[in-house]
Amino acid sequence: MEIEKSYQDGDVAVLRLVGRLNMVAAPRLKSDIDQTVAEGRPRIVVDLSEVSFMDSSGLGALIAGLKKSRQASGDLRITGVTQQVATVLQLTNLDKVLRAHPSVEAATDGW
Amino acid sequence: MAGDYALRGLAVPESLDRLHELFERVRTDWPDIDEVDLSMFETAIVEIHGNVVEHGHPPGQVIYAFELEVHPDRIVGVLADTGSAVPDLSSIDEGLPDDLAENGRGLWLAKATLDELDYVRVGDRNTWRLVRNRTGATTRA
Repeated sequence: MEIEKSYQDGDVAVLRLVGRLNMVAAPRLKSDIDQTVAEGRPRIVVDLSEVSFMDSSGLGALIAGLKKSRQASGDLRITGVTQQVATVLQLTNLDKVLRAHPSVEAATDGW
Repeated sequence: MAGDYALRGLAVPESLDRLHELFERVRTDWPDIDEVDLSMFETAIVEIHGNVVEHGHPPGQVIYAFELEVHPDRIVGVLADTGSAVPDLSSIDEGLPDDLAENGRGLWLAKATLDELDYVRVGDRNTWRLVRNRTGATTRA
């Protein structure tokens, strides 16, 4: 999986993931989020529109990132949820915790 | 007519890619399979195999074998491995962990995506059997 990082409005970080978010890729995502928060950017959007598959390890990395960003008075929001990812979120009842936003712009609303 | 697919090798992180590639072949060979059925079956097998990769003993030396059959009414998979320990199945019955837990959902998720999930240990092998009924199968029959 590839992770492309960009910034919006100066301090909102957008992580665009490309590929499969599984147990191989999850530690890298967690590390990238940690690094982003450590840089002083705790408001993070994770764009999943190019993620074809996510397993529970990927879900764990998103939850870890959510906690990390909130500890730094920020938040982590997701967008671009595909069918498989949406179903995994629903089955694990995490669609309320990691609410899917329709676009990066919508995800940053209020920031 | 059933479509048969098989994989065998060391249960290491790279073997997850081989499983995903197998499912890409199934998608190509069986374009009429409902994508939700196939992606949920793929989710289940990746969770169970991931558990073997992460917790199998001895680490890096466990050999796995996976077979998949596509039937008109269901998808059936059998995953066997040589791990020396019986896997911890408690999370399947205990349900989901707290919302902010970072792990502990894998086997529960596998069970939730399938119609049948059975585990047996026979001799020195762990064997999982996975079944997902195909959407709309009864109307096509």
